[in-house]
Amino acid sequence: MAEARLPEKGLSYYRQIRNIVLGSITGLAFLVAVTPLLAIIYVAYDRGKEALSLSFVTTMPSGFPVGIEGGILNGIAGSLILIVLASLLSVPVGVWAGLYLWDQSHTRLAGVTRLLSDLLLGVPSVIWGVVGFYVFSTNTGWGLHWGFSGLAAGLTLGFIMIPIVTRVTEQALRDVPRSYIEGALALGATRFQVMRDLAIPAAITGIGTGILLGVLNVLGQTAPLVFTNYYNTGIPHSLVGSNGSVGDLAMQIFIYIHEPSKALHVKAMAAALVLTVIVLLLDMGIRLLSWGSRKYARKG
Amino acid sequence: MEQSAPMSGNLKIETKGFSAFYGKTQALRNVNFSVPEKKITAMIGPSGCGKSTFLRSLNRMNDFIPGFRMEGSALLDGEEIYGAAVNPVLLRQRVGMVFQKPNPFQMSIFENVAYGLRIQGVKSSSLVSDIVEKSLRAAALWDEVKDRLKGSAFALSGGQQQRLCIARALAVEPEVILLDEPASALDPISTARIEELMQDLKDRYTIAIVTHNMQQAARVSDYTAFFLDGTLVEVGETTKIFTNPDDSRTEDYITGRFG
Repeated sequence: MAEARLPEKGLSYYRQIRNIVLGSITGLAFLVAVTPLLAIIYVAYDRGKEALSLSFVTTMPSGFPVGIEGGILNGIAGSLILIVLASLLSVPVGVWAGLYLWDQSHTRLAGVTRLLSDLLLGVPSVIWGVVGFYVFSTNTGWGLHWGFSGLAAGLTLGFIMIPIVTRVTEQALRDVPRSYIEGALALGATRFQVMRDLAIPAAITGIGTGILLGVLNVLGQTAPLVFTNYYNTGIPHSLVGSNGSVGDLAMQIFIYIHEPSKALHVKAMAAALVLTVIVLLLDMGIRLLSWGSRKYARKG
Repeated sequence: MEQSAPMSGNLKIETKGFSAFYGKTQALRNVNFSVPEKKITAMIGPSGCGKSTFLRSLNRMNDFIPGFRMEGSALLDGEEIYGAAVNPVLLRQRVGMVFQKPNPFQMSIFENVAYGLRIQGVKSSSLVSDIVEKSLRAAALWDEVKDRLKGSAFALSGGQQQRLCIARALAVEPEVILLDEPASALDPISTARIEELMQDLKDRYTIAIVTHNMQQAARVSDYTAFFLDGTLVEVGETTKIFTNPDDSRTEDYITGRFG
């Protein structure tokens, strides 16, 4: 009978080649994944650098066509207004819904809520826009008749944000270890106390990330704004009714790039760079905040 | 089946015909069992025998598990644990629990122990400090942490974390402490400290411990109960169970023939 032997030690050619091939694919995938970010920054900078200056972000647009002179302060301010309005609606509602889904996760109502919320995640933003138009903006038929206005757009964007915040909040809470929750329950904590003192603090980073994801999504939305706000080159007098529109960076880029003017195309790309930088700064800001909140965090 | 020798002293917890179900799976069958006051009662048995389910039923921690259902009766000082008028939150303040894996909160050492008081609305900071110190001393942890009370609980070793969890449970002054394999994730030295601690605590508390480790049950407990397939096979004084059990299945288990 032949003696049973282990194969010789060392990697076979097949395994060596497989290592190299799989390693290369991983590296390539990484490059493909990060290239767009670098490309966005490079293209926006290269095409928009002539318009970049401090005054570009601190002055209102002027000249004719409007924007040929001056900066994009209207767009920056307007985008911030829209974020605040959208967050005022979506953060309390979305976080509350996420808490509800986590706490009541096995009930039928929670199942239905989760299903509907996930369906809303998939609704194209143009549909949110036209529905927002009929509910908030149009002056004919039923509806709130707010006109093209910051409030109409802010609330539409807020409704887009709610399912994002809900989903991420629930997931962040689910990631809190069960043993941790049981520790508090065994001390005689109520469900509310467990939520307030343990689950939310442990999940706060995840919840913050969810809110940020929603904000970033809203910052880039253009289609809903076409139907509910459009655009304003100046300062809105109010957030409702005539001249209730606010400026908005995404709309500003969209409009400038459609103008037959080389100077406005440059400004559009400069504005694109500003928007990208705002997004990156917000992202880094929330990461710093979450590091700060990890004073007592678990190791590893 | 003949029950073993009656337990001496007051019975703190008593179950009669207690059965438990997870959905359609029956985890406990008709358990008649008592936990005597201010003694240590150990529950042993192979994995899946129902001992943890039984322990967790005693402070209604299973209420949170979807599909959990019980039948029969479980009494704490003669009152129904599952009675309609019982608030499980108040029940758990009387029947505390320490878990298999140390689960300190993401807070300072001090706040971990103080948490049970804070949720009960204890406001006086001097009272809270006193109880925190007393509880940490009772859990034999005070000397090791008194200079770092504001530090993170996660900086402690596994054994220290488990003693912190015991201190946390003691702070709310429970009458009963349920220990669910409290030393199974610890090294032998930490385990020995927890076992010493249990001896110190039994003068004041009724202790029920689930353990996988038969030597541990033999070392620490006054009474031992052997569970198998969701039934209570035998319960009695620990020395008797380990030297002269009535049931041959108990003997097979403690002599290592299965499990």
